[in-house]
Amino acid sequence: MMKIKPLIGALAFGALLAAGQAQALTVYTAGPAGLIKQLADDFKKQTGVSVDVFQADTGKVMARLEAEASNPKADVVISASWDSALDLHKRGWLLAYASPNAAKVPAEYKGPSYVAQGLSALAIAWNTKSGTPRPADWADLAKPEFKGLVNMPDPAQSGTALELLSGLQSARGADAWRLFADLKRNDMAIAGANAQAMNPVLQGAKAAVFGAVDYVALENQAKGESIEVIFPASGTVIAGRPMMILKSSRQQQDAKRFIDFVLSDAGQARVAATYLIPARQDVQAKRPVIKDIKALPMENEAQRAGRQALLERFTTLFGRK
Amino acid sequence: MRANTLLVGAAVSALGILVAMPLGFVLLQAIFPELAQGSLARPLAHLAGVLADPKLVELTINTLKLGACVVLAAAAIGIPLGTLRGLFDLPGARLWDVLMLVPFMIPPYISALGWIMLLQPRGYLQQLLGVHAGPALFSFGGVVFVMTLNVVPVVYFAVSRTMAASGSRLALVGRVCGAGAWRCFWRITLPLALPGIAASLLLVFAMAIEEYGTPAALAANAGFFVLVTGIERRFSEWPIDLPGASVLSLILVALAMLAFVWQRRMLTGRGYETTTGKPARGENLPLGAWRWPAAALFAVIVAVATFAPLFAIAATAFSRTLSGGLAVGNLSLTHFQAIAAGGSEASGALATSLMLGAGAAIVTGLTGVLVAYCVVKTRTRGRAVLDALAVLPNTMPGVVVGVGLILAWNQAFWPATPYNTWGILLLAYCCLLLPYPVRYSHAALMQIGDNLEAAARVHGAGTVTALARILLPLLAPSLAAAMLLVFAVASRELVASLLLAPTGVQTVSLFIWRQFEQGSVGQGMAMSLVTVALTTTVMLLATLWLERRQARSV
Repeated sequence: MMKIKPLIGALAFGALLAAGQAQALTVYTAGPAGLIKQLADDFKKQTGVSVDVFQADTGKVMARLEAEASNPKADVVISASWDSALDLHKRGWLLAYASPNAAKVPAEYKGPSYVAQGLSALAIAWNTKSGTPRPADWADLAKPEFKGLVNMPDPAQSGTALELLSGLQSARGADAWRLFADLKRNDMAIAGANAQAMNPVLQGAKAAVFGAVDYVALENQAKGESIEVIFPASGTVIAGRPMMILKSSRQQQDAKRFIDFVLSDAGQARVAATYLIPARQDVQAKRPVIKDIKALPMENEAQRAGRQALLERFTTLFGRK
Repeated sequence: MRANTLLVGAAVSALGILVAMPLGFVLLQAIFPELAQGSLARPLAHLAGVLADPKLVELTINTLKLGACVVLAAAAIGIPLGTLRGLFDLPGARLWDVLMLVPFMIPPYISALGWIMLLQPRGYLQQLLGVHAGPALFSFGGVVFVMTLNVVPVVYFAVSRTMAASGSRLALVGRVCGAGAWRCFWRITLPLALPGIAASLLLVFAMAIEEYGTPAALAANAGFFVLVTGIERRFSEWPIDLPGASVLSLILVALAMLAFVWQRRMLTGRGYETTTGKPARGENLPLGAWRWPAAALFAVIVAVATFAPLFAIAATAFSRTLSGGLAVGNLSLTHFQAIAAGGSEASGALATSLMLGAGAAIVTGLTGVLVAYCVVKTRTRGRAVLDALAVLPNTMPGVVVGVGLILAWNQAFWPATPYNTWGILLLAYCCLLLPYPVRYSHAALMQIGDNLEAAARVHGAGTVTALARILLPLLAPSLAAAMLLVFAVASRELVASLLLAPTGVQTVSLFIWRQFEQGSVGQGMAMSLVTVALTTTVMLLATLWLERRQARSV
């Protein structure tokens, strides 16, 4: 039995540590890495409430929420997928809250129990040294010059890539499927999550990403990579990153203060610094914002509900299992 | 017998806490779809939906095909190298040991990324030599190639330690009786090393069917998919499907159990006891004229398995931009400076990972010996179950084990829980990596004659004394190798860490992953390089210290 004693000791010690932090606010969040740390530090300075952060991709954040469902730990959740907020809302897991600071957030990017932290558009990320002509619209990537040179994030892994497909389908119907089939004929590759689709374009193995998350690409560009972020002429999807408070939270007041803080001038300035579009339209951004980008019409609930079928059809088209 | 009962009790409790608890909850989740919400409603309601998937058969066959090919390739490389290292006087033996360990310290997703950046069109190879190997890399063959290089160390260390333990005495007897050198090797030396070979190949099979990143990154566009793809998809597609993922994991477990039964069949009914206490010459056989060809073989394997991916990692880490390519003007320390500028964040992550790695190595080492002892050397009923239990975690994707751990430890009825502390990461690593020390100790114990322990007992030593003074020292080489493997993997484990990381705790793998997520490939690679260098140093020091201790005790 002597082998187990130290373990039990360690567990008990760990439990003590956990008990000591009971006052902190717990935030589960998907990317960008530096942002949540700055927001947490600023919030602590302003309110004295410390913030414990768990950060992973949206899938892991949701898996953890789901696995913890019988004994929830999180107070605030920030996801990169708008669908996840709608679904949690429908399940009744979310606390209704309209932050006073959300007044300048466009109506499409807030709901009774969720509000966008920031927005990102889906774009074409094009390697300027690839020797291909500068693409101006989605359809250009189906041209012979781009044969075998286009990457797309896997819509089964990237929520934003799925939003793009869905947005194109809702706006253009059969035309969208002709575009997808043309891209397939042009040997477009489906490549893992967002970062995995981007890397080959940076190195030059591929010339462009169809549906790149713009803020990551813009940051790469700012760091001197030879890529250009192009917002397609015929329109794209601008996706919100929802923040929400769990109904099970025992610190609902602090949670509300945190949402207020992220939507304050200072919080939104932090969001803007990561090249995301700030959710509040009156905050200065260092990149093109909603009014500069041609957006596809917002989808209604029925169109959103059809995403599972769309994904099925798309994965069949591209021979994925 | 009291001490024996205690040992068995300890082994059972350790396995219960480390393995049975989380995996039991995965099983429950597979049966009760609403378990996570705290309800046992609608048992098995989802089963038909998951199993009716027409792709399931193809995915299972692909998984088996991949597992088999990786096992064969790893055996083809690992067994000859392990034999050379274990039996012969190889020049630079210790150096090769360390270099063979490095591929294991590079996380699979980084090594896959390294290979991609090396071999894809306009990759580093093309920038240097004008050719690329894109089509070969992005195929089933490419997956087998990359995965094999990642797992060869497991076979190499098991075979070399087993061969060294059985020594060349019996083969020499064969020679004296007139058999040729090759005949002696095939009929005597190789069969005697079977426990080590079988144990390591079982580990390799389990790793190969569980690995997600490499097949997904390399072969998905070639239309090759495996079972884990389906599991990962259930974690990334909205809504998350925990019950479905659990059911698919159980299929993986079943596949691994088949391999496990086959391995036991292969080993039963024969004797492998070569460590009998008779004086054996400790020296290895001279290689003679084959000295340098043997060293050259090692050099080639190490160049491909270790230095090729390291080169890609280093090239990216020292390049200002990826699109700038290999050019003097693009050389830069900016990524390392960025890490240093982050201050305590990176060093804190490193310290956490090294501590957790060491902790996992110690806990799994002790537990592993205990379990293997109970399975091999006692007549405990149900010891085959203990043995099987100790293989299981290796066959489950880390994310599923992670869910099992959350379900197990995040229950309101626990008065205290390790969940949301670093303790849960330690539990996760111990669960995932326990198979290594168990299998390695198991193989080594099969070689140790029962009469050694009996002799000690006759002279008045108790079970514990005999274990500590006789068996442990004889086990030490195998056990140390297994613990180094555990340390290497635990200090870079990503998937379970990503799901389980307590709020506010950062490990190296999480640090690196966040850099990649943000699109800072260079910074991620720089941190990987620092980590590999640091882990290698720690392992070198540990090996040297162990050797000095052994030298002193002889």
